[in-house]
Amino acid sequence: MSETLKVIVDRPDATVAVLRTDGYINNTGGEEIAKEAYALLGSGVNRLLLDLEKTKIVNSIGISILIEILEKLLDQGGKLAFCRLTPTIEKTFQIMGLAQYARIFAAPEPALAWLRGESE
Amino acid sequence: MRVSSPLPSPPSLGSGASPSSAANLAAHRRLAAIDPFADRDRLFDGILAALLTAAHAERGLLVDPVQPERFACAGVEPSPALLEALAARGAGIGRVTDPLPEPASASLFGLSDVGTAEAPAAIPLTARDDVLALLVLEKPPSDPVGFASVTAHAARILDSVRMADKVQKADFELKYRVWELESLYDVGLSIAGTLDFESLAEDILYKSMSLLNARTGTLIVCDRAADAPVYVRHLGEPLLDGESARLLPSRVLRCNTLAERVGLLANAPAEKLLAVPILADGRWLGVLVLADKENRAGSIDDFTEADERVASLFANQAAIALENARLHREAVEKEKMEREMELAASIQKTILPEALPDVPGLLVAGGNRPAKQIGGDYFDVYPLADGRTALCVADVSGKGVPAALLVSTVHACLHLLVPNNASDLPGLVARVNRHLVGFSSTRKFATLFIAVFDPAKGTFTYVNAGHNPGLWVSPGGVTLLPSGGVPVGMMPGVTHKQASILVAPGDTLLLYSDGITEALNGADEEFGMERLTALAVDGREQPPAELCHRIFSAVSDFTTGVAQYDDQTVLIARVAATS
Repeated sequence: MSETLKVIVDRPDATVAVLRTDGYINNTGGEEIAKEAYALLGSGVNRLLLDLEKTKIVNSIGISILIEILEKLLDQGGKLAFCRLTPTIEKTFQIMGLAQYARIFAAPEPALAWLRGESE
Repeated sequence: MRVSSPLPSPPSLGSGASPSSAANLAAHRRLAAIDPFADRDRLFDGILAALLTAAHAERGLLVDPVQPERFACAGVEPSPALLEALAARGAGIGRVTDPLPEPASASLFGLSDVGTAEAPAAIPLTARDDVLALLVLEKPPSDPVGFASVTAHAARILDSVRMADKVQKADFELKYRVWELESLYDVGLSIAGTLDFESLAEDILYKSMSLLNARTGTLIVCDRAADAPVYVRHLGEPLLDGESARLLPSRVLRCNTLAERVGLLANAPAEKLLAVPILADGRWLGVLVLADKENRAGSIDDFTEADERVASLFANQAAIALENARLHREAVEKEKMEREMELAASIQKTILPEALPDVPGLLVAGGNRPAKQIGGDYFDVYPLADGRTALCVADVSGKGVPAALLVSTVHACLHLLVPNNASDLPGLVARVNRHLVGFSSTRKFATLFIAVFDPAKGTFTYVNAGHNPGLWVSPGGVTLLPSGGVPVGMMPGVTHKQASILVAPGDTLLLYSDGITEALNGADEEFGMERLTALAVDGREQPPAELCHRIFSAVSDFTTGVAQYDDQTVLIARVAATS
C-alpha cells in the first residue's frame, strides 16, 4: 500500500458507481475521492460504493472529506455505501459517525444491491 | 449530521407602509425563504439578493471577513485584493449598526475621486459582537432603521449556520477524542492478544499516523539481544534507516523547523518531524518517526506537545509489544531446546549398554547416571573374537545436543574400529582422533580410557587419552593408571602411549568419569579420589555389580540436596578366579 491514493472508478450499470481505493485516505487521498465522486454526481450518478479493500489507513482529514461527500450525496437524494473495510477503519467510521448516514458492508455485492434498492 | 436552528419570522407590515417598508418586508420574506443548510454554496447569494432588495440597489457585494474567498456579488466584479482588504476591514469593524463610508470600494462601482460623503457604504452583519459578513453598497440605504432590521435578520441566519458549524466541529472533535482513546485501547488489546509483532507494529504505525494526521511515518525497532535493526516499516518515503536510527538521542525530537533537526534527521524527506523513542527499562529499542501533520487546507501544521504525548503512548505500546514478542520467542526457543534435549537423551540412552556381556576371564559391571542436562559420558564392553575383551569409558566435552552427537560419533568409531584394531591401541586411538578432529568443531573433544584384557596373558593393555586415571586394585594396593596423551579430537596428529599391567585373579580395574570424583556436596567439596579409592579397596572382594551400586550410593549420599551437574559413569572389571 502506498501513501499516495489511487482511485479506480467502475460503473457496473448506469445507476451506481464503484470507487476502488488503494492507499492512504488523507487530505490528498480524500481530495482524489472527492474529485471522482463530484464528477459522478455532476453526471447524475448519486449512488456510490466506496470499496476500501486496499486501504489500510485513514486520518481525520480524510474522514472529514468523506463526510462532505456524504452530505452532498444526501442533499441530492443519493446514497453512499462502504465495503471491505479493515476492522480498524470500520470502527473508526462507526466512532466518527459516518456509519450513521452511510451503510457498511463486508462485500461489494450486497452493497450494490442496497444502493440499487434491491435490499433494505 | 446537520443542526437545525430556529430562524426569525419576517415582521408584519402595518397599514400605510412606505415603499422602503415594502422593500424591507419583501427582503425579510426572501430571507425567511432561505434554507441555510440546504445549499451552503448559494447562501451568500440569497442573502445578498434580499439585502439589495431592501436597499433598492442593484449592485453590491457580501464578503466573509474570515474567508474572503467566500463572497457573493451582484453587478460588480471584485478583485481578490479588494476582497482581502474588505475582509480585513470587516474583521476590524466591531459591532456597529450604522453604515460606514467605504471609499476603497469606489472603483468597484465605477466611481472615482469620491469624498467620504459620497463613498460606497460598508455595513457589517454582526452577531454576538462578531462580524459575520460585510455588505458593500454603492450608497447607504435610504431607510437605515428599516434596513438595520433586515441586516439583523440576515446576520441571524449566518449566525445559525455558524453555530451549526461549531456544534458539528465540536461533535467531530469529541468523536475524534473517542477515536484516539479507542485506538490506544485497541493497540493495548492487540498486544495482549497477538504475538505477531510485525502486524502489531504495522498497526501501531498506522494508528499513530492516522491520529496525528501524519502524511508519512517510519517505525524502526531493534532486537534487544542483537542490538540491530530487525524491523523497519514505513508508509511513504522512509524517514530514517535502521543504522541511523540507532544513533538518535533517546528523547523526543519535535522538529517543526529545519534548525530543530538533529544531524541524522536533517535529510529526512519531510517538512516537519516528530521522532519518539521506543524504550524498555530505559534502554533504546527503536523509534517512531512521524512526518508532516496535514490540515484540511492541504498545508502542514506544527507538531504540538499533545501530539508528542499521543505518539509517546503508541511508542510505549510498541515497547511492550516488543518485550512480549521477545519473551515469547525465548519461551519457544526454550521449549524447542527442551524437546531437543529429550530427543538427545533418548538417543544417548540407546547408545549406552543396557546390560554388559559375559566375557571370558572377567566379571564386569557398570552403570551410568546422566545429569539432567544431557552430558557426554560413554562406556561399553566389547568381547573380541580371539577371547580378549575391550573396555572403554569416554567423556566428551560440553553439554546438551552437541555433546550427545559427539558421544554418538565416539560410539560409532569404537564399534567400527575395536573389533579389528584392538591389538594396536595407539593406532586405534589415533584413528578415532583423526575422525573426531574432522568431525567436531573447536573445543569439542573426548577423554577416553580404552583397555584390552588378555585372559591368556593375564594382562590389561591400555591407552589413557586425557581421561581420569584408572584404578588398579590388587593385594599390593591401588595403582593409578595415568594419562598417556591428550584427549581425542582436540588436535590432529597427536600420539598416545600404551601401557600394560600384569594382573592376577581378584585384581580389579575400576574406570570412572569425572562426574564421580568431582561430584560436589553442599559445602562445595568434591567426592574426590580418596573416597573412591577407599571404596574400591574396601569392596575389592564384593561382586563388581555390588561395588558399582555402592559407589553410586556413596556419591548420592555425599551430594544429598545438590543437583547433579555432570554425568556419572563407573565401569568395573574384576579378573575372575581360574577354574
